[in-house]
Order: sequence, then structure tokens, then C-alpha cells
Amino acid sequence: MNDFSEIEAELKKLRPAPISQDLCARVERALTSNVSTAAVFRRPKRRGNLWWSLGLSLAGASALVLLGLAFLEEAPLSTPHLNVAQDRSTPATTVPPNDNGFRPAALTRVVYQRRDEGLIFSPNQSEQPLRRVRYDTRETMRWRNPQTGASLRVSYPAEQVVLTPVSFQ
Amino acid sequence: MASVLTEEDWKSCFTQLGPALLLFARRWTHSRVEAEDIVQEAFVRFWRRQHSIENRALLYATVRSTALDRLRSDQRRARREATVARDGATHCEPQFTDLDESQQVLAAAVERLPDEQREVVILKIWNELTFAEIASVLEISQNTAASRYRYALATLRKTLQPHE
Repeated sequence: MNDFSEIEAELKKLRPAPISQDLCARVERALTSNVSTAAVFRRPKRRGNLWWSLGLSLAGASALVLLGLAFLEEAPLSTPHLNVAQDRSTPATTVPPNDNGFRPAALTRVVYQRRDEGLIFSPNQSEQPLRRVRYDTRETMRWRNPQTGASLRVSYPAEQVVLTPVSFQ
Repeated sequence: MASVLTEEDWKSCFTQLGPALLLFARRWTHSRVEAEDIVQEAFVRFWRRQHSIENRALLYATVRSTALDRLRSDQRRARREATVARDGATHCEPQFTDLDESQQVLAAAVERLPDEQREVVILKIWNELTFAEIASVLEISQNTAASRYRYALATLRKTLQPHE
């Protein structure tokens, strides 16, 4: 590498062209205009905001789930559909619009896992044994405001346990 | 430990590093205006992520990724830039200032270097990065970085020999 010391020294004498005043001003403006944003999104605060928004999201999702139960059909006990996306479009005329003008537009339930947990018996064995099947699903509800064109989509995981009476003959 | 830099510190850093950053950014564009846009976007992005200014390799990697993002976002321009680079067109605007006659020859030789060699030389000479840092910025091995550097200097030395 010593062979190159002379050429390296010559290269170091070359001075890169300076940056323009315009670029300096633009960067300065960017740094200045984002000071407040950077302060808001400091790492510790961001973590607090995350928990706060997570809690709010969960609360909102819970409320919507309760609300959405009104639109949900219970899956048939005997023949649940597996791994099939069901898109049940709800006619807009059947449900009156809520205060915001949003109407239920669609409800989708995707079963992505089915676990057969076998037979279960009641403690006193007085009743029939039951087969317990657990379904992991993701349900998505959509609302649409026909006047403004705005749409609202809520998706949440759900778990459903189906108990089927078993008879031995 | 990285200390908390004030806005003035960042401005000062930019004033100090700006010319070398600009030189590096012109690897991807022959337009000074576009190079300035790349440098501005990269520096502000680096600052927003609150990286340590001492992490020079990361700063240059940010410039590189910003430049590549811009090229990818506009395929037509990317093709044009690639064509210009492939044809070895000379830069229309000088990248160095205050040059005497022999320095002008050297600067022209630097600009004629293949892109992958020139960027290593720029990072090594004017940005004083180590080969490890250069390798990290360019996502190549240290040996590759070092060999590109050696090839480049050998070429430059050969270019200058008849004039010495």
C-alpha cells in the first residue's frame, strides 16, 4: 500500500466542490421544521403511545365485536366450513344506517385452523359425551357510507368452540 | 457514548460532511441538483432516526439507499442514468474546486474511473472511511473494497505518470 502513498497524497489535495447555499438552507429548514416531531416521537414516549394506542385499539375492537355480533350468524354445529372465506354481503336495505351514515357492507369469516379436542364428559356422566372442536378464525366486518363513499373495515381474530353430542349405538 | 446533539451541531456536521456526501451521491447521478436532493433526503432521514453522527458508515449507507430508492422509483430515469454511466459520459459539472493544471488531470482521471472503483476511492480518500466501513456501506467484502481501491489507485498513477 506504501506504493500508493504519493497518489493518495495527491488525491487528498483535491477539494470536493462545496455544497450550495440552497442545499444548506433546505437542510437547515428540514432540521428546524422537524424538531417538534422528533421531540414527540422520542423512543420512551413512543413506547407510551404504543401502549396507549394498543389499549384504545383493543377497547375499540371489543366494542365493535359486540356490535358486530348482531350481524354474525352462528356457524352450524355439525358441518362447519373449513379454510373457506365466506363473504356474506348484507343488503344495505335490511339494516338501517347508524348515526354516522355507515351501513354494514360485508362480513367475512375465514377459518384458518381447526383442532379436534376429542370427547369430553360431564363430571357426573349423566349427559351424553360431547365432541369438542375449536376453530380459530379471523372475522372481518366492513361498513360503507353510501353518501360519502367512506368505508370502515374491522378485522379481528376469534375463537369458536363447537360441542357436538355423540351417541354410541 | 453518543452525546445528544443540538440542532446547531447537526447543521455544523452537515456543513462539514456535505461536500463529501455530495461527491458520493454523484455516483448515481450526473446532475448536481439531483445529487443535492439525495444528500438532503438522506441526511434528514438519518437525523430523524436519531443515529449517532459518529456512525459515518451508516450515514453513507443511508445516502446510498436513498439514491437507490430514487432510482427504483423512476425506472425511466434509472435507465437513463444507467445508460449515461455505461457510456462513461463525463460529468457536466466539476466535482472539485480550485484545481491547478495537474490536479485537473487527476480529477478528470478520477471521474473516468469505473463507478465501483470511484465510489471506493471517494469513500476512502475524501470521507476517510476504513475498508470495513466501506464494505458495510457498499455491501461488499473488505477484500473486494481493498482490491477495487488498489486497482483505482494503480490506474490513477498510470494516468499521471506521463505528465510527471
